[in-house]
Amino acid sequence: METSIWHALLYLVGILAFAGLNAAYLGYCERKGAARIQRRSGPTEVGYAGLLQPLADGIKLMSKQLLVPKGVDGIIFRAAPILAMVPAITSMAVIPFSGNIQARAMELSVLLLFALAALAMFAILLGGWASGNKYALISSTRAVSQTLAYEIPMLFTVITVVLISGSLNLQDIALDQQGGFWRWNIFRIENGHFLTMWISFLIFFICTIAETNRAPFDMAEAESELVAGFMTEYGSMGFGLFMMGEYLNIVVAACLTTVLFLGGWDCPLGLIPGVWWFLIKIYILIFTFIWIRWTFPRTQIYKLLNLNWKILIPFSMVNLLITAVLIKVF
Amino acid sequence: MQTIICQPATTPALFTAEGVVGVIFLVTIAMVVIGGLIAVHAQRLVRAVAGLALCFTGLAGVYYFLLSPIVAMMQLLIYVGAVSVLIVLGIMLASPEEAAPVDEKPTTDIKHRSVLAGPLAASIAGLLFASLAILGLKTQWQVFPREGEGDIHAVGITLLTTHGMVFELISIVLVMAIIGALVLAQRGRN
Amino acid sequence: MSAYWRDIFYGSKSLIKGMLITGRQFFKPVVTEQYPYETPTLPPLFRGHIELIGNAESGLPNCVVCMMCQRACPSDCISLGGKKAEGGKGKVLTSYILDFTKCSLCGSCVESCKFDALRYSHEYNLVSFNKDDFIIDLMKRLEEQNRCKQ
Repeated sequence: METSIWHALLYLVGILAFAGLNAAYLGYCERKGAARIQRRSGPTEVGYAGLLQPLADGIKLMSKQLLVPKGVDGIIFRAAPILAMVPAITSMAVIPFSGNIQARAMELSVLLLFALAALAMFAILLGGWASGNKYALISSTRAVSQTLAYEIPMLFTVITVVLISGSLNLQDIALDQQGGFWRWNIFRIENGHFLTMWISFLIFFICTIAETNRAPFDMAEAESELVAGFMTEYGSMGFGLFMMGEYLNIVVAACLTTVLFLGGWDCPLGLIPGVWWFLIKIYILIFTFIWIRWTFPRTQIYKLLNLNWKILIPFSMVNLLITAVLIKVF
Repeated sequence: MQTIICQPATTPALFTAEGVVGVIFLVTIAMVVIGGLIAVHAQRLVRAVAGLALCFTGLAGVYYFLLSPIVAMMQLLIYVGAVSVLIVLGIMLASPEEAAPVDEKPTTDIKHRSVLAGPLAASIAGLLFASLAILGLKTQWQVFPREGEGDIHAVGITLLTTHGMVFELISIVLVMAIIGALVLAQRGRN
Repeated sequence: MSAYWRDIFYGSKSLIKGMLITGRQFFKPVVTEQYPYETPTLPPLFRGHIELIGNAESGLPNCVVCMMCQRACPSDCISLGGKKAEGGKGKVLTSYILDFTKCSLCGSCVESCKFDALRYSHEYNLVSFNKDDFIIDLMKRLEEQNRCKQ
């Protein structure tokens, strides 16, 4: 292997920059998007059209005191935000942005992403517990029960994709879908997969919304009932890290959806191929995330779990069966 | 740092790919050891579980270095993502507020303890360590050939052919666990 | 079972409808006013704090110091002073102080005025760090308005 340390460092810096910029500017995009949907104009004051707003927010958060309230478990309380941020950044390492832009082409990258999601969940749990606050505790149990439940249909739908591509490597899955949108997993004409794959895509998309704790499934930080959920006791950059971790999870979820269902960096009609197709797809998905958030009100926790156990899981299981049959028959 | 990563002949410099990999390996080992120590010594249960999770994560790293990425991923997914989380959830639901660790407790407990407790524990630990050490040194280790490349295809094929029996047994255990959980939940509801 | 399918069908339909509504709103222009950059066109009946009406020719206040407004005020925020007019009957206004900190904009003063001497101003930029800024000398205000007119 001729990977030099500079190669690794380059990717490290690149990923950190991509992650940091996204985490900062998704907050801006969310505020702008929310404002547009409510027909306001959002942040406008700092810089042109408020473009420097994330910078101002960052400076504000960093200049605040890192307050550790009485009665919290100090070490875990301080470690939790970092733990929430780390898996999200690490996941970026295995995402193939393009045929040759990928930090590490791992054989098991799909599995790694889910393993890291599990770590992030653990961070939320620890943060909620360490705060020594009832709201935080309730919120973190909610987040975990939700994440655990939604992992089931999510993994089932991922298995359908893995069955079609015959690989757990994100790079291979993306390569398998090259050559026009009819080869993307969601519209795949071959073997008649388009019959079921769009349902798979919908299930997967709903699950990513739930996994990233976004509205309408943001039970974990239901402001009207739980103050700010597991972030209640966090101020300054502790809160900032949780926030950034959350946005990064959205980016990772969008990347994963793009690679699994939307053909990765493949261009729809053979027009100007390049890495930007990947970026366009993920930002469309992220925009949909924002769009959904500002359209639907929060559901209730039991409705959320009902949706999962009664609709998503049966559908995803049947989908898996049909996909397997389609592969065998043709 | 540099001196610790010594391979007999050539010690790679720290700022090469090998050097960094060595440091990461040491970090994973440290995670296992420190996590284990926290798990054993922590006064608060949740901290102990956090230590356990740290230990599991380090262990996943060790598996990865042992060229079995599948086991590493499963370690993370199942042990950190499921087992540790379930333990923490259980603790959280069982006792909302733990009593802060009291300093006097150990001293009062010592009075009730037998005099033999300390030496007995020490001797058992010593015996265990000695026997394991002897076992490790005296055994003539055989080198087994690697079964497959450790990639997912090979693992899948062996699971469904060579180790099909084990696979089925595990599924039976899981089905029994699910049915047991259902029965318990149903009983609790009535 | 049919209820289950109906639920899914109508559920997804309503979700899509909602998305379309917000999607349409997204591309419509902003309806909020960008406060410091835009001056709103206030409706003619906008009730700001009161101000004096000057005579169209002389610019002097129409007020005859009848004290009706002061009496009509439920919260005692108007205090005005006048003196005998030089060479003529009636009084002229010398000072008209509005204590806007107490005013509830009820408009009784404007209603009670029979000499067309009071009206609502269109002042809405009312913010200050100092409470005294809201004890407004309406005579001074009228003088400034007259100066601006010239």
